Amino acid sequence: MAEILQTAQVSKTFGGLAAVSDVDISVNEGEIHCLIGPNGAGKSTLFKLVIGTYLPSGGSISFRGENVTQRRPYERVKRGMSIKMQTPSVFKELPVRQNIHIALQHHIGRAALAREEERLLTLLELAPDATKPAGALSHGQQQWLEIGMALALKPALMLLDEPTAGMSPEETFRTGELIKQLNADGMTMLIVEHDMAFVRQIAQRVTVMHFGKVFARGAIGEILADPRVAEIYLGKTHEH
Amino acid sequence: MMGVINMAHGEFIMCGAYVTVGLVHGGLPLPLAQLCGVIAAGLVGVLVEMTIVRRFYKRPLDSLLATWGLSLVVTQGMLILVGSSLAGIGTPEGSFKVGEYSFSTYRLVLFGGAIAALAVIYFIFMRTRFGVHARATMQNPQMAQALGVKVGRVYAISFGIGAALAGFCGALYAPTMTLIPTMGATFIVESFVTVVVGGANVLLGTAPAGALLAIIRTSLNAWEGQIIGQIGMLIAVILIIRILPEGVSGFLTRRQR
Amino acid sequence: MFKLLNGPQTLGNGRAFWICFFLVLIIALAYPFFADSYDVGNFAYFLIWVFMALGLCLMWGYGGMLSFGQTFFFGIAGYSYGVLAINLGGGGMTFVALGLAILLAALSALILGYFMIWGRVGGVFFGIVTLSATLVLAFFVGQTAGPEWRVGEARLNGYNGMKGMEPLNIPWFGGESIYFEGSSLYYLAIALILLVYLGLRVLLNSRFGNVIVAIREDPQRAELLGYDVRKYQLITFVIGSALAGLSGALYTSWGQFITPSSIGLPAAAMPIVWVAFSGRGDITATLIGTFLILVAFQTITVHSQQAALILMGAMLLATVMLAPQGFVIGVARSIGRLVKRRGQAPG
Repeated sequence: MAEILQTAQVSKTFGGLAAVSDVDISVNEGEIHCLIGPNGAGKSTLFKLVIGTYLPSGGSISFRGENVTQRRPYERVKRGMSIKMQTPSVFKELPVRQNIHIALQHHIGRAALAREEERLLTLLELAPDATKPAGALSHGQQQWLEIGMALALKPALMLLDEPTAGMSPEETFRTGELIKQLNADGMTMLIVEHDMAFVRQIAQRVTVMHFGKVFARGAIGEILADPRVAEIYLGKTHEH
Repeated sequence: MMGVINMAHGEFIMCGAYVTVGLVHGGLPLPLAQLCGVIAAGLVGVLVEMTIVRRFYKRPLDSLLATWGLSLVVTQGMLILVGSSLAGIGTPEGSFKVGEYSFSTYRLVLFGGAIAALAVIYFIFMRTRFGVHARATMQNPQMAQALGVKVGRVYAISFGIGAALAGFCGALYAPTMTLIPTMGATFIVESFVTVVVGGANVLLGTAPAGALLAIIRTSLNAWEGQIIGQIGMLIAVILIIRILPEGVSGFLTRRQR
Repeated sequence: MFKLLNGPQTLGNGRAFWICFFLVLIIALAYPFFADSYDVGNFAYFLIWVFMALGLCLMWGYGGMLSFGQTFFFGIAGYSYGVLAINLGGGGMTFVALGLAILLAALSALILGYFMIWGRVGGVFFGIVTLSATLVLAFFVGQTAGPEWRVGEARLNGYNGMKGMEPLNIPWFGGESIYFEGSSLYYLAIALILLVYLGLRVLLNSRFGNVIVAIREDPQRAELLGYDVRKYQLITFVIGSALAGLSGALYTSWGQFITPSSIGLPAAAMPIVWVAFSGRGDITATLIGTFLILVAFQTITVHSQQAALILMGAMLLATVMLAPQGFVIGVARSIGRLVKRRGQAPG
C-alpha cells in the first residue's frame, strides 16, 4: 500500500517544552488512521505541524511523495490536504450554503457547483438550514458543516481533529457511520480522537502518543490488547 | 493593556495643558496649577471611561472609532469655545521664573518629572493593593471578579491614571509650547508608533522602542532636518514590523528563553 | 457576468431594487437640465468623494481591514495629478496624468500593503500604521513651501497648496477643448461611479468576493481552505486605495488646487465617518449614505466648519455606540423586512 503522508523525526518545542519530539508516523492511502493518547500528548500539535500552521523545530514531512515541510498551509491544501480543526471554525456570520460554496468554488466550475452544493448539504443533513448563518447551528451541526467543508475540497487526505467532541452518543455514532461511508468511497483519513468507543467503531490502524512521543502503533486489535496502552490511556477512559 | 485603543489620549494631554495655563492666568503658582491639571485630566478620564470606553473592552476597533469621534468633538469644540487665538496668550513665559537658565533648568524638571511619573506608576501597580487587583483584572477579569475584585472600578481608575499621566505630560509641556486645540494630534503618531513597535509589554517593549525610535529620529533630524527624521522613523517602523511582527517585546521575551 | 450583479454579498437584489436604481439613475442624468450650474458643480464635487468611500467599504466592510490611509492615497494621487498635469502640459495629456496618478497611488498601496500584510500587522494596528503614514505625508507636504520643493515646473507650495494645473480636458474637433468642469465633470463622475459601483458588485459576488468575506470572518480557516490569504488581502487593499487615488486626482482636477489639509487630520477621519455611519457591510448603503452625508455637511459647513466637524465626531461616536452596523443599512434592512411582510400579507 502506498504511503500518502509521512513524518520523519518531526519535533516542535515551545520555549524549551517539547510538545512533539521525533515523531514518525505514516498514513497509507485508503485507510482510517487514528491518533490517540491522553490530554497533552501532542496530538493537536502534530496536526498543526502536518497542515502547516506550525513549522517544525526539526524533522520533515512529506505528502504524496513531496517534501512539504516548509510549505505554507494553503499550499498544502492545494496539494490535497484538508482539515477539520478541534474547535469548530466555520464562518459564523455567513449562511451555511455560502460556507460550503467558499470551500467548493476552489476547483469546481460554476455549472457543477450548485449540484455539488446540494449533494453535500443533503449528505450532511443540513439542507433545511442552508440559509441560516452557520453560527446559529448546533454544536454538532457545526462539526458536520466543517467536515463538509473539508470534504468539499475533494482532498486526498482528510485530517479530523476530534470530530465528535461535544456530540451526543447518537450524533457520535452517526458521525462514525459517515466517516466509514466516506472511507468506503476511497477517502484516506487521519483522525485525532478521545472517545475509545468511537475509535473502535472506525479505526483500522492506530498510533498512540504519550508525552510528545509515539508510544505504540499497530492495528486496532493489537493496540486494544496492549496492556501498556491500557495503563496510560484506556484505563482513564473508564472514568467517563 | 485593557484591549482598548484611545484616540482621545492627545485630548487628555490638551486638557492637562489647558487647565494648567488657565489656572496660571488665574494667579495660581505653576506647580499647583500643574497638579490641578493632572487631577482634572484624571477625573475627566474616569468620566469618559464610565460613559463611553466601558462598553468597548476587548473591542479595540470600536473603541478606536468611538474615541476618535470623541476627540473630533472635543478638539473642534475647543476651537469654537476658546478659538485658536488662545495660543498666543496662553504661553506663561513670564509666570515661570528660573532666571537666565530658564530653558535648560526646565528641561531638567521635565526629565525628573518623567522619571518620577514612571516610579509612581511602578509603585502603584506593583506595590499597592489596587495594583494587585488591577494586574489580576488585566489578566483574567472573570477570575478577578469571582475573587471579589470590583472589576468595573479597577478599569475606571486605571483609565483615569492613564488620563492623568497624559494630563501630567500636558501640564509639564504647557509652559514650553504654544497651546492650540489640535495639539493632541501631534502626539498621536509618535505614541502609537511606539506602541506598535514596542508590542504588548510596557516595560520590555514600549520603553526600548521609544528609545530606539527617538535615537533614529534625533540622529536623522540632526543630519537631514526634521522632515527626513519623521519619514525615516516611518520607514524604520515599517521595516521593523516586517522583521519583528511581535514587536520589540516579543523579540526580547523570545531571547530570554 | 451580469448574473454576478446580484448575490449574497450585496443588499438590494430584487426587481424592486433595480427599478429604483434606474429611476435614480434617470433623475441623476436629467438633473443638470433643471438645476443651475452652481448646484451641478457642487454635486459633481460630492460625487468625487464617493470613490474613496466605496474603496474603504470594500477594504473595511468586506475585507475586514480598517485603513485610515484613504487620504494618504488621495493625497498621493491628487499631488501626482497636479505635478503630471503641469509638467506634461494640458489637453489630452491630463487624462494620462489621471491614469498615472491612480497608478502611483496603487503602487504605493502595493508597497505599504506588502510590508503590513506580510508583516502580519492586523486589526487595530493596521489602522494605526496607515494613519501614521497619512499624518507623516501631510506633515511632509506641509513643509514644502520653499522654492527648492519643485518637481519639474510644479511647485508644491507647502500649506498653501499646489495650484495651476489644468483640469481634465480633451481636445475636440475645431481646435476647441472640452473641459471637464461643471456639468461635464458631473457626467464624467456619474459614469465613473456607475462603472465602479457595478464593477464592485460583480467583484464582490464573484469568487474573489466570497474569499475576502471568508478572510474577514476567519483568516486561518480561509487559509486552510487553500486560499493565499495575504495575496487576497493585498489585492483588496490595492483596489480600495486606488479608488481613493481616483477621488484624489478628480479632486485636484475639480478645484485646480490641492493642499496638505486634505490629507491630514481631520480629513483622514472623514471616509471612516461616512462609511461607518452608512454601514460598512454594503456598498449600496455606503454609496447612498456618503452622498447624503456630504450634502448635509456642505450645508452646515457654510455656517461653521467646526460645527460640521463636531457633528462628524458625534456621528461616529453615536454610530459605534448605537448602531454598529451603520444607520443606512439599518434603515435598508427594515424596509426589506417591511416589503417582505407586505408581500406575504395578502397571500
